[in-house]
Parts: sequence; structure tokens; C-alpha cells
Amino acid sequence: MVMTKSELLETAQLLIQPGKAMAEEYASKRELLVNLLNKKMLERLDLDEMVGENNVEMMKDNHANHARFLESVFYSYNPEVLVDTVLWVFRAYRSRNFRSTYWAAQLNAWVEIYKENLSEDCYKEVYPFYNWMQINIPSFTALAEEAMEDPISTH
Amino acid sequence: MKNKPFIPQSSEFLYHLLKGNRKMCSTIAKNYLAKNPSIKDLYEVVFKEALYEVGRLWEANKITVATEHLATAITEGILNELYGELDIPEKSTHKVVLACVDGESHQVGVKMVADVFEMNGWESYFLGTGIPITELIKFIHQKEPTVVAISLSIFFNYKNLVKMIAVLKSEFPNLTIIVGGQGFLHRKEGSFEKVDDIKYISGLYELETYLKLW
Repeated sequence: MVMTKSELLETAQLLIQPGKAMAEEYASKRELLVNLLNKKMLERLDLDEMVGENNVEMMKDNHANHARFLESVFYSYNPEVLVDTVLWVFRAYRSRNFRSTYWAAQLNAWVEIYKENLSEDCYKEVYPFYNWMQINIPSFTALAEEAMEDPISTH
Repeated sequence: MKNKPFIPQSSEFLYHLLKGNRKMCSTIAKNYLAKNPSIKDLYEVVFKEALYEVGRLWEANKITVATEHLATAITEGILNELYGELDIPEKSTHKVVLACVDGESHQVGVKMVADVFEMNGWESYFLGTGIPITELIKFIHQKEPTVVAISLSIFFNYKNLVKMIAVLKSEFPNLTIIVGGQGFLHRKEGSFEKVDDIKYISGLYELETYLKLW
């Protein structure tokens, strides 16, 4: 089911901010996690198809920014910031030809890497955020598509 | 994405920003001030709106990063150009140090904030982006400001802000710290509880009201 932005916000409000120790663990491993994700994604043969031509560096930027953003989210969670930022990311990357399959592949890869590299307690607290993003890929994609159809002034 | 109605001066300014026409942008700013001599209005209504639209155009892949940087650089250049025309009263004893959170690359907003402090008689020290916390502490010891103003443009630097404030509070327990910037777009009571003992200023008009209290 595709949700509206306000419905996404309602579901985001159910997510629980990880504890301080968990947020600190995530922060301390952030760079390692990003490197592992880049490696995993670069191994994919369908990468160009997912991210579009000449977009690999942009994808890597996205991974680094994603982890920095989530680090701040785990430190001080605000559902509106989460929903608006994910929407912004979907719009910005969609407009640069990233396919919706990229989001599924990326989020699955994060989860696999977290499972192997975060403590069990940290993983348990971080995972719901990823589960929420994974479940809502169709909604974020639809909202991003809607925004693409809405003209922006170009003068 | 629904866009706000765009006022003509802002639209015209934006058009020339995107063309990279600094001279026309400067003329538009000066003509605006000739009709409405409020720098705050110019900053809020023309510059801020145009730059937010630049951000939206980048998001929609209508312009490149280079054009976005050009637009910011032109606007900053005009701020410098207009500085001489600011109505700056005699300086009070109040001083403010302004800086961006570690990791930020956007400083044009806090530069406007520095000008509003100046227009209210404050001695302002605008440090912009990339100032290491150790250097900021040294500078604060040296200048002994009444207020430190910190700008957060992007939420993913929020953790850096919290750390920065903790260090400053520990080093200068009586220092007044104010924060602002687009990173606080969704600020609601309690939602940024870790900085709630710090004054949040939502824009230049609120800043002016705040400064009247000093």
C-alpha cells in the first residue's frame, strides 16, 4: 500500500530512538560500515543499471551522507526530519536517474553489514529504522515521482 | 512538491543568479533597497527565498552543483558589497562570535546574521565554516564575546552541534549560545531536547526582536 506523507509520519513516530551507548557504537563504526557498503555495492554487476551512468561517485557520497544522517538520527530522533530527509533523498537521486531498485539493494546491504558488524543489542535498535525504510520504498518512490511531475520554476 | 508563490524581486534575482550575472544581481539588490531600505527584508525576502529555490532546483537536477556554488558565491559577494551601506550605529560593548558547526559548508545565512548584529550595534566576528573547536575556544578567550551564534544548515551535522555546545558550555559556563539555520527546520518544543537550554532563533526578524532585549 502506498502511503501519503502524513501516513509515513505516523508510522515514523512509532520508531524508538536507540540508546546512547548504541548511538555511540554506531558512530564509532560509521566509517567502517560505509567502506563495507561501498565495497559490497561496487561488486554488483547490475550497479550501473541501478544508479545510472556515471553516478558511482554520487552513490558513494550518498552512502557517506546516509550514515552521517542516521548517526544524528540515532543521537536525537525526530520523525519529521526522518520523513522529510528520506523524501528529499529519493527526489534528488530519482532526478539523477537512480532507480527504485537501488534503494532496495542499498538498504538490504546496510542491514547485512550491520548484522555482521554491530553488536546484537545495537543491531536490534538500529534495524527497525531500516525495516521502516525498506517497507516504505514504494511510498517514497511514488511521492518522489509525484514531485517530478510537479513543475519547479526554471525561469 | 508545491512551491511557495515567488515574489518578483526574488524571482528576478534568482534568474540572474542562475545566469551568473553578478552585476545584475547587485543592481537588483540596490534597487530593492532604494524602494525599501530594509536590509533584513532584502536578506529574508529576496536572498533567502532565491537561495532556497536554488536548493530546490539542484534537488530536481535542473541545475548543477557548480551553478549552485556560483549562486551562493554571488550572493556572498553582494553581502560584502552592501556592507558599506549598512546603517551601523555606534558600537555597544556587546560582542558576538559567529561560526558554523563542524562539517558545514554553508555560511551565507550566518553571514546575514552577522550583519543584523552589526546593525544593532554589536561588534561581530564572523568565522564562517571550517573553524576547529580548539581554535574557536582560543578566539572566544581572546575576544570575550557576550554571545556565540552557531549555524546548522544540514541535520546530519546535528551530532557535531551537540558536541560543540557541550565543549563550549564546559569551557565557558556563562556564555550565551544561540543557534539557527535550516537544520532546525522541524524544530518543535522538546524534539531537540539536547540543545533546549540554548536559544534557537528562527530568522532575522526574530533575531532583531531578541537583540532588543540586550
